[in-house]
Amino acid sequence: MQLTLEFGGGLELLCDSVKIHNVNVDPQNGTEKLIMKDLLSWVRTNLIKERPEMFMKEDSVRPGVLVLVNDCDWELSGQLDTTLEEKDVVVFISTLHGG
Amino acid sequence: MEEADGNGKSMKGRGRLCCICNKRRAALKRPKTLEQICRECFYEVFEEEIHQVIVENQLFKPGERIALGASGGKDSTVLAYVLSELNRRHNYGLDLFLLSVDEGITGYRDDSLETVKRNEIQYGLPLKIVSYKDLYGWTMDEIVKMIGLKNNCTFCGVFRRQALDRGAALLKVDKLATGHNADDIAETVLLNILRGDIARLSRCTSIITGEDGPIPRCKPFKYTYEKEIVMYAYFKRLDYFSTECIYSPNAYRGFVREFIKDLERIRPRAILDIIQSGEDFRISTSTKMPEQGTCERCGYISSQKWCKACVLLEGLNRGLPKLGIGRSRGLSDDRKKGIKENIGTKSIESKQCGTLDF
Amino acid sequence: MACSASSCQSNCHQHEEQAQEEEFGGSSNSISNYNDRNLNVCIKCKSNEPISGGNAEDGRFCADCFRSNLYGKFRLAVISNAMICPTDNVLVAFSGGPSSRVALQFVHEMQDKSQKNFDASRDGSLPVFGVGVAFIDERAILPIPSHEIDKAIQDFRSIVSALAPPRKELHVVPIENIFSSSSSDGRDRLKNLLDAVSDSTGKEDLLLHLRMLSLQKIASENGYNRVVLGSCTSSIACHVISAIVKGQGYSLPGDIQYVDARWEIPVVLPLRDCLTQELNRLCHLDGLKTVELHKVPYSGINGLVSSFVTLLQKENPSRESTIVRTAGKLTPFHFNSIPEKSDSNTTLATQRRLKKYNLKPNESLSSESFCPVCNSPLNKSDLLRQSNLQNHQTSSDIFGAACCSSCRFQILPKDPSSMEHFYTHLPQLLVARAKHSGYGNLSLLREQIQDFLISDSEDES
Repeated sequence: MQLTLEFGGGLELLCDSVKIHNVNVDPQNGTEKLIMKDLLSWVRTNLIKERPEMFMKEDSVRPGVLVLVNDCDWELSGQLDTTLEEKDVVVFISTLHGG
Repeated sequence: MEEADGNGKSMKGRGRLCCICNKRRAALKRPKTLEQICRECFYEVFEEEIHQVIVENQLFKPGERIALGASGGKDSTVLAYVLSELNRRHNYGLDLFLLSVDEGITGYRDDSLETVKRNEIQYGLPLKIVSYKDLYGWTMDEIVKMIGLKNNCTFCGVFRRQALDRGAALLKVDKLATGHNADDIAETVLLNILRGDIARLSRCTSIITGEDGPIPRCKPFKYTYEKEIVMYAYFKRLDYFSTECIYSPNAYRGFVREFIKDLERIRPRAILDIIQSGEDFRISTSTKMPEQGTCERCGYISSQKWCKACVLLEGLNRGLPKLGIGRSRGLSDDRKKGIKENIGTKSIESKQCGTLDF
Repeated sequence: MACSASSCQSNCHQHEEQAQEEEFGGSSNSISNYNDRNLNVCIKCKSNEPISGGNAEDGRFCADCFRSNLYGKFRLAVISNAMICPTDNVLVAFSGGPSSRVALQFVHEMQDKSQKNFDASRDGSLPVFGVGVAFIDERAILPIPSHEIDKAIQDFRSIVSALAPPRKELHVVPIENIFSSSSSDGRDRLKNLLDAVSDSTGKEDLLLHLRMLSLQKIASENGYNRVVLGSCTSSIACHVISAIVKGQGYSLPGDIQYVDARWEIPVVLPLRDCLTQELNRLCHLDGLKTVELHKVPYSGINGLVSSFVTLLQKENPSRESTIVRTAGKLTPFHFNSIPEKSDSNTTLATQRRLKKYNLKPNESLSSESFCPVCNSPLNKSDLLRQSNLQNHQTSSDIFGAACCSSCRFQILPKDPSSMEHFYTHLPQLLVARAKHSGYGNLSLLREQIQDFLISDSEDES
C-alpha cells in the first residue's frame, strides 16, 4: 500500500532530517487492512533512526505528537484503530519543540 | 452525532461534519471543548477567542507600539500572524514589531533567525534583532565553552530577559507580547510548586506582568492550547522553525511537560484547570517583593546593587563563572556571608530556557 | 504527653524543645551531612552504625535515632498544633497500610506515656486521652474476596488488642452505613451512586469523600472529638498536585494543614512531615504488621499524578517535602486550627504555643461556602454561578449548583435525568450539607461576591 508519511515539528530529526517519506507498507499479521497501530510499529522499525522514545510511548505516539490522516486529526478517526487506505497521507507533528 | 463515533472509525472522519457549520468535513477535535470542527470554523473560533482575551483583559490600547517576541518557533510565528491579522480586522490601531534575540548558538538560533527574517517579509512587520554578543560581549557558544552544559540555561534566561527589555526600549514600544501558551503556563505553575517558588507562583498566571518595570509584558495565548497553535500553523502552512535548543538537556522540565501531555490525553481540560488553580491560589499579598532599584553598573532594574546579568557577566569576565549561580538559601551563615556580595540570584538554578522567562 | 492544658505538669515543654531540636537537626543535615556521611556513624548519636539500604535520607540515622526522629516529628506536629488534649477522645482511621499503622502506633505510644505519667502522679488530676480505631469495610464496592477482608479484620483485632492498655475499641463499619437505611439497601444505593459517575477519577474521589463521611459518622456516634488520619508528606504531595490539576487551587490550602476543623469532628494529620519511605521503614524495623487491602491501583488523573510524584521523588529525594512546603505557604483557612473551646482554661498554654508557632486561630469568622460533595470552600466563580441561579429549580439542580466546578465536572452526571437519579442515591448527610451550607444563605453569598455583583447588575437591569 502506497502511503506518504510526513514528519514535522522536529520529528524529522529522528529520521535523518527527511520530512517526507513515500513508503510502501503492507497490512500486518496476515490481516486485510492496515491500521494506524501497525503503521506506527512499522515506522518505528523502518524509519526512526534515533531516540524512538521521542516518537512513541508504549504502542502509541508519545503524548504531544499530533497525527493527521489526510489532514484530519486522528482523534476523529479512531486514533490507533484508524484504517489506512491506498495513497493516504499521514502527518506526524511534534508540539514539544521550541517556542 | 455522538453515536456516529462508533461507525465513523472506518470512515476516518471523511463523512463527519463540523459541529459548528454542519457543512464541511471536521478536521480536528478541540481540546478545550471536545468539539469536532472543520478548518474554516477552527480558524474563526481560534482567532475570535484570542480577540476576546485581548479585549476582555485590555491587553492593548489604540495607538500603542507593540513588540512581539519572535523566536521563529511555532508560538511566536502564530502570534505574529494572528496579531497582525486581528490588528487589521478589528482596527486595534497597533504598530507591531518583531523582536528577536540572537543568543549566538550556531546551528540553532542562526537557523531560527532565518525563519524570523522570512516572517518579517511575509507579515510586513519590521524586525529588530538584539544579540548577546553586542549586549554582553559573549555568545552562548562562548559561554558554554567556558562553563560547560551545566547552568548555561541560567545565563541564557537572565540574559534573554534583559535583552528583550533592551530591544523593546530601542524600538520604543509600550509593551511586549510573548507567545506563551496555555500548556506553557500550566507547566510553569507546576514547576514553581516543585521548586518552592511562591513569589513566582503568584505571578506566573497573570496575563500582564511587569507593569511596574520598564516594559510590561503580556500573553495573548494564555488560554490557547499548544495543540491548536500547532494545528493552526500546520493548516495555514505557516513557516516556523522547530528544533530544541542544543544546549538545553533540562530533563526536569521535560518531566513536567510530559506529565502535562499525559494529562491532556486523558483529560484535556486539565491544562485550563491548572491555570485556574494558579489564578485562585490564596497567596498573602504581604509576601515580600524585593524593592526595585537600578543596577549601579548598567542601569537596568534590579533589587540588588548589581542586576543579575551584571553579576553573571562579571563572573564570566573574571573567569569565575560560578559567581552568582545557585541559591543562597539553606547555606550556613558563614558560607552565606562569603557569597553575600553576589546574591540576588535566588532560585534561578534550573531556570527554564527557551522563550519561557517569567 | 500532648496536652495543652495550663495545668499540665508533665514536662511537655521540655519534650517540645527536644523534639524541635530533632526537627532542626533533621533539616540542616541536608547540608552538613555530606561531610558526615562518610564516617559511617549515625549523624545524630555519632556512635551507632546507621541503618543501611533505602535512599540516602534514611542512611543517616541508626535505628534508635531514626525511630526517635520520626516519633519526634509526629510529636512536634501534635503538640505545636494542639491536636490532642488530655480530655480528648481520639479516633484513628485505620486502613491496615503502613501510614495508618504508624499513626496508630504513635498515638498509642503517646497515650501510653501519658498513662504512665497519670499512674505516677497519683492525684489523678490529669486525665488520659482516649483512643479508638476505625476500619471502614469497603467490600461492598471493592473487587476483593470477602474472606480476605474477614482475615484482615481478624488481624486488625489482634493488632489493636495487643496494644497496651487502656483498651482501644476497634470499630469495623461497612461503608454503606453512611446511608441510614438497612445495610442491603445501603449497598445498592452505594453501587448505584458510584455507577452514576462516569469519570474514573471522579469515582475514586467520590469514594474518598464518602470514606470521610463514614469516619465522621463513626466518630460522632461514638463520642470521639478528633479524627486522626495517617496522611504523610508523600500522600499530601500527591494531593497537592492532583488538586491543582483538578482546578482546586483555591481550596487546596485547606486540605493540607495539620488541622482541618471544617468537619463536625476536627481531623488532624500528625504524620504530615513524615515520608512514606520512613513509615515503611519503621514498620519494617519494628515488625509492625501491615495489610494492604485497598491496594487497588489508582487510575486516571490520580494514577498519573502518583507516578509523576514518584518519578520526581526518585530524581530528588526531597521533592515531596518541597511540594508540601510550597503548598503550605498558601494561605490556610480559618478552619485550619482547632476551634477554641469557650469554657476551657486551656487557652493560655494554647495561645502561647500558637504564638510560638505563629498560628493564627480563627482570624476571621467563617465566611466560606462549601461544596456539598467534597466539602471544599468554593471559589468566586462557583459562588457567582450559584448566586445567578433561578428560583424555580428542582432540588437536584439546586444541589448541583451548590457544588464546586471540579465535582461538577468529574462527579456529577451531565444529563438531567442521570443527575436526578444520582441525587436520589446520595446519602442524606451529603444532601443535608447542601441545604445547610451557603446556598440557604443568599445574603451571605451576595456579600462575598459583592464586587462581582455590582458589575453584573448592570446587565440585569
